[in-house]
Parts: sequence; structure tokens; C-alpha cells
Amino acid sequence: MSNRKNEVTVTLVCSLFILAYYLANIFQMIQGGGLNSAEVFRLWVVVIIANIVLTIAGIIFSYIVINIVHAIKTQKEEEVRMLEDERDKLIGLKGDRVSYITFSIGVFLSMLTFALGQPPLVMFSLIVFASLMAEILGNISQLVFYHKGA
Amino acid sequence: MDKHKIRNNIRKLRFNNGEMTQEQLAEKAGVTRQTIIAIESSKYSPSLELAFRIAQAFGVPLGEVFSYEIGEE
Repeated sequence: MSNRKNEVTVTLVCSLFILAYYLANIFQMIQGGGLNSAEVFRLWVVVIIANIVLTIAGIIFSYIVINIVHAIKTQKEEEVRMLEDERDKLIGLKGDRVSYITFSIGVFLSMLTFALGQPPLVMFSLIVFASLMAEILGNISQLVFYHKGA
Repeated sequence: MDKHKIRNNIRKLRFNNGEMTQEQLAEKAGVTRQTIIAIESSKYSPSLELAFRIAQAFGVPLGEVFSYEIGEE
């Protein structure tokens, strides 16, 4: 597995955990009598911070594990080459395009719910959901491109 | 429909160059081993610059490493 592919996998796993946490909280709020603005905005902040922190921590942890495994395999203390080449960049761009399209559709649908008479909190909640889905689908598409070659 | 395909002789050239490993070629060309694997199995067409670097790594002209074919699908 290349370093970049490894990074994408870690980001994907982190995003899935955060999505699960977000959906669990949203459903809890709905069951407890509906969305309230203070809770929804608190959840926004938690999701954004957790996404950044978890992803960075996950990537650092994976680099440490990769280097340990590499050292055990090769019996040498040299660092693994962390290289991003043209194929990695191309796949990254293709993944970004998938994320962008997903997020655009998500924002459009969120605004549509508002236009159809739903409260603004529903729209905001759907925008966060769309951003998480965009990240997840972008990462999945990158893994598919890595599997296909590019 | 015409199917354009870039074919390569990387496997043969690696063999002719003292069974050069994919890792060694990747280091010479400045890419990851996974990219060399993808190019060798014709899953990825490299940029012109990378194609030249691969040819340079073998010390042969570009045409000996890559060829362009148009086939019917």
C-alpha cells in the first residue's frame, strides 16, 4: 500500500467514525423532541474539530506504524520514503472532483428543504451531513482509482 | 470504437538490466513503486516527463520503452 493510499484509508476511517457520531447525535435530538439550535451548532463545532484532530492523529499514528513495520521487515533503521508522485496528485484531484460534486448536490438539496418550508436547522444539519458524505465519497473514489490504476 | 493504448516493455527492460527491481526503477524515476506497477501493467499512462525519466533510467530512447497502439474494441 502506498503512503498516499494509506493516508486516504486513515482519513476515510476517521470520517466514517465522525459520520456515525454525528448521525447518532442527530437522531438522539430528533427522538428527544426535535433539533435545537444550541445543540446543533455545538455538534457542528465538535464534528469539525474532531475531523481535523482525528485525521491528523490517525495519519501520524499510521506513519509510525508503517516505519515500525518497515524497520522490522528490512532490519534497518532507515525512514520509509514519503513520496507523492504525479499519479497520487492525479488521483487526489479526481477524488476532490467527486467530493466537490457530492457537496454541491448536498448543499442544493439542503437549500431545497428550506425552500420547501423546513426549518433552517434542518438545512444546516443536512449541510454538515453533505460535507461528511463528500469527504467519504471522495476518499472511496480515490481508493477505487488506486485500485484501477488511475 | 477505437481504443488507444500505450504499451510498454518495462518488464523486459528490467530483466535486461540485471533484473532491476520495481523499487530500484521507482527510485531512479522519482516515483513510488505502486506507480511503476500501474505503468508496467498498462493501468496508468505516465506523463511525457515521467516516460522520459523511465527511458533515461534504462539508458534507451523513449520509443524502446513505450509504444502507442490503436486497436478496435
